[in-house]
Amino acid sequence: MLLRTILIGAASAMLISAAQAQAPTVKIGLIQPLTGSVADDGTADVNGEKLAVEERNTRGGVLGRQIELAIEDGQCKPAISVNAAEKLIQRDKVVALSGAFCSSATLAVMPVAENNKLPLITGVSSNPQLTEKGNHWFFRADENDALLAKAFAKILTQQMHLKKVAYVAVNDDFGRGAVDQFEKAMTELGATTAMKEYFEHGTTDFYTLLAKLKASGADGVFMATETQDGSIFVKQKAEFGLDLKVFGVGSWATDDFITLAGSASEGIYAAVPYAYTMTTPENKAFVETYKARYKGSPGEYSVAGYNVINILVDAIARAGSTEGEKIREALTKTDFVGPNGRFEFDGKGQAYGFSVVLVQITKGIPMVAASATIEP
Amino acid sequence: MDLLLQLLANGLVNGTFYALSALGLTLVFGLMRVVNFAHGEMYVIGGLLGWALTGVVGLDFFTSLAVVVFGMGVAGWLIDRVLVSRVRDQDEEVGLLLMIGLSIFLANSALLVFGTTPRRVLSPFPTKPFFLGPVVVTQSRLFVVALCAALIVAAHLLIQKTALGQAMRATFQDAMAARLAGIRTEGIYGFTFGLGTALAGAAGTLLGSIYVAEPTNGGLISLKAFVVVILGGLGSFAGAITGGLILGVTEALWGGFVSTNSVDAIGFALVIVMLLVRPYGLFSKRGERP
Repeated sequence: MLLRTILIGAASAMLISAAQAQAPTVKIGLIQPLTGSVADDGTADVNGEKLAVEERNTRGGVLGRQIELAIEDGQCKPAISVNAAEKLIQRDKVVALSGAFCSSATLAVMPVAENNKLPLITGVSSNPQLTEKGNHWFFRADENDALLAKAFAKILTQQMHLKKVAYVAVNDDFGRGAVDQFEKAMTELGATTAMKEYFEHGTTDFYTLLAKLKASGADGVFMATETQDGSIFVKQKAEFGLDLKVFGVGSWATDDFITLAGSASEGIYAAVPYAYTMTTPENKAFVETYKARYKGSPGEYSVAGYNVINILVDAIARAGSTEGEKIREALTKTDFVGPNGRFEFDGKGQAYGFSVVLVQITKGIPMVAASATIEP
Repeated sequence: MDLLLQLLANGLVNGTFYALSALGLTLVFGLMRVVNFAHGEMYVIGGLLGWALTGVVGLDFFTSLAVVVFGMGVAGWLIDRVLVSRVRDQDEEVGLLLMIGLSIFLANSALLVFGTTPRRVLSPFPTKPFFLGPVVVTQSRLFVVALCAALIVAAHLLIQKTALGQAMRATFQDAMAARLAGIRTEGIYGFTFGLGTALAGAAGTLLGSIYVAEPTNGGLISLKAFVVVILGGLGSFAGAITGGLILGVTEALWGGFVSTNSVDAIGFALVIVMLLVRPYGLFSKRGERP
C-alpha cells in the first residue's frame, strides 16, 4: 500500500514536471551578425542576451513560462536579416524581435516587424534616422549618433574646458557624420573650430596633419577613426611631442587599440556608450556575473544585448500576454534600470535617461572620467 | 616658416620611405618588365614576418631583418621559378593577370594566417621626439632613412659594379644575346625576382617598425610604388630616390597648405604630368631598352 502511494506520488510528480516542461516557452527572436566582419561584436551581443535569459529563467521566466531565444545569423546584411526575420516570425512563432545590429539591416527588418505586428528592439543600431521613420513597432535601447554628440559636447566644453577644437576624421560616412554632429554640438556650446581635416583609411603617416595641428593652436583634438588609424595617429602625436588632449569616437579604448598604441595611449579620452569600469551597483553585479559566465569583461555590445532582453521581458510581464500589440503598448511604458543607467522610451521609440561615459586610458585600462545622461 | 620647414622635413623623410618601398618594384617592373601588382602584398608580408619574428619569436630587430630578407628572397625566387617563368615569353596580359591573381592570393593568405589586426615590428630605436631647431623628427625615423640610403647604395653597386649585375643588365637588354654569351638567363631572372621580393620584404619590416603592417594595406603600397617608379624612370635607382622624394615633398606641402583628404590624388596627378612631358621618367634613357 505504502509502495503504491509512493509510486503514484512519484508518477504524478513526474507527470507534473513533464507538464511544466511542456508548457510552451516564450520565444524571442534574435537577428545578429554571427559571421562576417562584425561577427565578434554580434557574438558579444548574443552573449549578453543569453545571460539575461538565464537570469530571468532562474527567477521563474515570464508569465509562468520559460524564455527561449531563437537565434538567426543576419550577417549585418539587409536581405539576409529580412529572411531571418520572416523565418523567426513564421516558423519559430517568436513574440518579439531583437536586432539586427547594423543600422542598414535594422532598417530593412523594421517594415517586416510592422507588417507582422511584432515589436522590434535594437540595442546597437545608432543611425539617427531609424527612429524618425514613424514606425511604432520599433524601439531603440541605445544612444544615436546625434544624442551622443550632444551629451559629450557638454562634457568636453564644460568639464574639460575646450575652447579651440581641431577635428580630424577618417574620410567616410562615419567620420564625416561624427565630425558634423560634434562640431555642431560643440559650436552651440561656444567652442570654436581651429581646424577640420579628413584622411583616407589606411593612411600611415600623420606628420603633415600633426604639423598643421601644432600650427592651428587647438587646445584639444576630436577624432573619429577606427583602431589602426587612431593608434598610429596617437603614437605619432607622442613622437611629435605634441601635448594636446585627444578625444576619440570609434574603436578607441579597445584592447587592440591599447596594444598597438602602447604607452602613447596613456591619457587618451574616448567617448563610449559603455565601459565595464562604470561604478553603478547594477554594473558591478553585471560585470561579475558576466565574467563568471564568459571569462572576459563585457563590452558595449554585451550590455546592449543584456538590456534589450530585460526590457522586452519586463514588457511581456507588464502586458500579461504575448500578443504583439500588448507588448508594444507595454514597451512604451518601459522604466528599466540596467548596468548603464535607466531606460525610458520617448514617443518615437528612442530611449533616454541612461548614461554614456568618457573614459580615459590609464595604465592600459579605460577608466571612467566623466559621464553624461542621454536626454530626450 | 616653422610649418614650412616641418613639412619639408616630413616630405623628405616620407620620400625616402617611398623610395625604399619602391626599390623592389623598380627591379621587377623596371628591369624585368613584370608588372608586379603583388609588390604591396610582398611588402606587407615582410612587415608581418618582421612582427612575428620580433614580437612572437622574440628575435632582435637586425636578426629578424636578415631572416626576412633571406626568406623573402627565397620565396621570390620560387615564385619566379614556379609561376613567372611559365608566362615569360607570352603576351604581357598573361603576366598581368598572373600578378593580379598572386596579389589577391597573398593578401588573403596573409589575412587567414595573421588576421585583420594591424601589427607593429618592435624596433630598438627610441621614438622620442628629437628637435632640429623648430623641426621634429625621431631617432627611429632617421635610422630608417640611413638604412634605406645604405640599401639603395648597396643595390646600385650590386647592379653597376659586379659581374652578377653585369649579367643582369645584359639579360634584360637582350636575353638572346646574353644566352649566346654564356649567361644562364633563367638563373638571372630568378635572382632578380628574388632580390626584388627581398627588398620589398625589407621595406615592409623597416617601415613596419615606424607604422604598422596589416594584410589589407598592400594595394595602397603598390599604387605609391608604381607612382615612384614611373616618376623616376623604369629600372633606375637614382630615379626611385628622386621619384620618392618628389612624391613625399609634394604630398607634404599639399597636405599642409591645401588639404589632407586629397593627398592621395597628388601622386597620380604627378604621373599624368610626367607621362605627358617625359614619358620615360626622369632618369630612364630612351635607348637603353629594346
